[in-house]
Amino acid sequence: MSKKKGMSWRQMKREGYPELYAMMIPVLVILFIFKYIPMNGIVIAFEDFNIFDGILGSRFVGLENFQKMFSDSDFLRALRNTFAINLYKMCFYIPLPIVLALIMNEVGKRFQSAMQTIVYLPHFLSWVIVGGIFVNLLSVNGGMINEWIKQLGGEPVKFLYDSKYFIHVIAFSAMWKEVGWGSIVYLSAIGSVDPEIYEAARVDGASRLQQMIFITVPNITSTIVLMTLMSLSNILGNSFEQVLIMYNPAVYDVGDIINTYVYRIGVNNMQYGYASAVGLFNGLVGFLFLIAANFLCRKFLHRSIW
Amino acid sequence: MKKSKGDRALTLACDLILILVAVVIILPILNLVAVSVSEQTPVISGKVKFWPMGFQLDAYRYVMGSRQFFSSLSVSLFVTLAGSALAVICSVLVAYPLSKQNLPARKALLLAFLFTMMFNGGIIPSYLLIMRLNLINSVWSLILPQLVNVYNLLIVKNYMEALPESLVEAAKIDGASQMRILRSVVLPMAKPVLATVFMFFVVTYWNSYFDAKMYITERELMPIQQYLQTVIFEAQSPAGDYALGPAESVNAASKSIVNATVVCAMIPMVILYPTLQRFFAKGATAGAVKG
Repeated sequence: MSKKKGMSWRQMKREGYPELYAMMIPVLVILFIFKYIPMNGIVIAFEDFNIFDGILGSRFVGLENFQKMFSDSDFLRALRNTFAINLYKMCFYIPLPIVLALIMNEVGKRFQSAMQTIVYLPHFLSWVIVGGIFVNLLSVNGGMINEWIKQLGGEPVKFLYDSKYFIHVIAFSAMWKEVGWGSIVYLSAIGSVDPEIYEAARVDGASRLQQMIFITVPNITSTIVLMTLMSLSNILGNSFEQVLIMYNPAVYDVGDIINTYVYRIGVNNMQYGYASAVGLFNGLVGFLFLIAANFLCRKFLHRSIW
Repeated sequence: MKKSKGDRALTLACDLILILVAVVIILPILNLVAVSVSEQTPVISGKVKFWPMGFQLDAYRYVMGSRQFFSSLSVSLFVTLAGSALAVICSVLVAYPLSKQNLPARKALLLAFLFTMMFNGGIIPSYLLIMRLNLINSVWSLILPQLVNVYNLLIVKNYMEALPESLVEAAKIDGASQMRILRSVVLPMAKPVLATVFMFFVVTYWNSYFDAKMYITERELMPIQQYLQTVIFEAQSPAGDYALGPAESVNAASKSIVNATVVCAMIPMVILYPTLQRFFAKGATAGAVKG
């Protein structure tokens, strides 16, 4: 830990700095072990890694793992699915919370807070529980949705086991869980718009709808752009836990995403070197997306993500 | 102020849409609960919608009688409470020093934390680390990797930066050590943010699933989410219906039992929810991340 120039040890001591550093040491050790040591994946990705030889003893294979990656049809499928699932989800996850916030802003305070209590609830349930709720709803034997389909004269659908429907189930259940929570940030952006603007508009005879379109929406545009960039930058990391819980071999062709693939080939098949390479690719691309998103935020919104 | 016709129509439309949204969110939960307490025959034939048909608590009796359920519950309780308490301590131990604007190397230390938010080594290296540390099938593998949470740390740091300096200065003149100042001056003032962050950690630890999926293979050590996952999805056959499957979900009443287990696992969160909502709504807006 470096000392600032021009500050003597005595000054440092008087300010209590040595003690403050000492305070941080246990946490810095934990940070190092659990966040920085795993970055040795950068080395493992270039090795034919096996546990007995460890990171220093395993055979170095250069770019072999990466070459394998781009001729591995399962990886390419996972890459495609990752983009497909997350872009599809975004089609709903970006606009719907904005719309919900705008709608909430139009209703009475009491009613609004009651509705908030309901729509925020699913956010606090784990993906496993949400999975359980949807399995119950969508099952072929006695699931409510399939009963309705049967009543309307249709054939029961194996929603979770059919590639045609799986991605829609993923998107819908994600919406069900997060749409309410996603509206909070917009609602608070709406709340911070200067009330005098609305006052002036009312005096000029603007209707509520006109106020919504011409005052509220333009005033939350920067929040909308920020949130959009943030979800775009996380396009490779999203959906992992949800998919891991809800997918199954019958829907790998549309449902297997990069992280679930890494998990299977690494933890289940013990191809540590190759799995680390795929993981590293994922992490680096995600990192670049984040840097790009932040650059755009600085440039156009004059604020940074972090 | 008198409302015009158009404004009234808009409000009415918004009311109706909101009610519709709320219904869509509540009905799946209602159906889940209704099935869990209904008799077998209407459940199998799919007659149960939002109101129980017949009434039985056998499924709940089965869950309550399951040793696995209680061992999972206690693992989760331990991980959640011990993990959240330790995590709050860790956050404070870093947030307080970093809230001192003049601390030498402050920027560099902050960056060391921020960087881990943007880039991580990935799933496999973390798994290999836990294996080397001999933490596979240890509850600590569920606690330690989540202890340092940069987002929460920044919330605490930002809060501490906004506290009045004068009290701290006064204590310093009295010759109090930094630890002492932290304990008797700063922490009492920071109580609201500590409670908020504690709640954040409680939800994270309670709901976390993936760490257990990777690091825990022994059934007695499975936390509740992982146990629940095996109950829900092992009871499923590839045909997409409920099989009279393996594990604990045998017996005739498979679907009711699965649902009863889900309901039981939901209860702690639902009880905590009113408190959570208060803390989170504040944190989600006030705790904007800013280095």
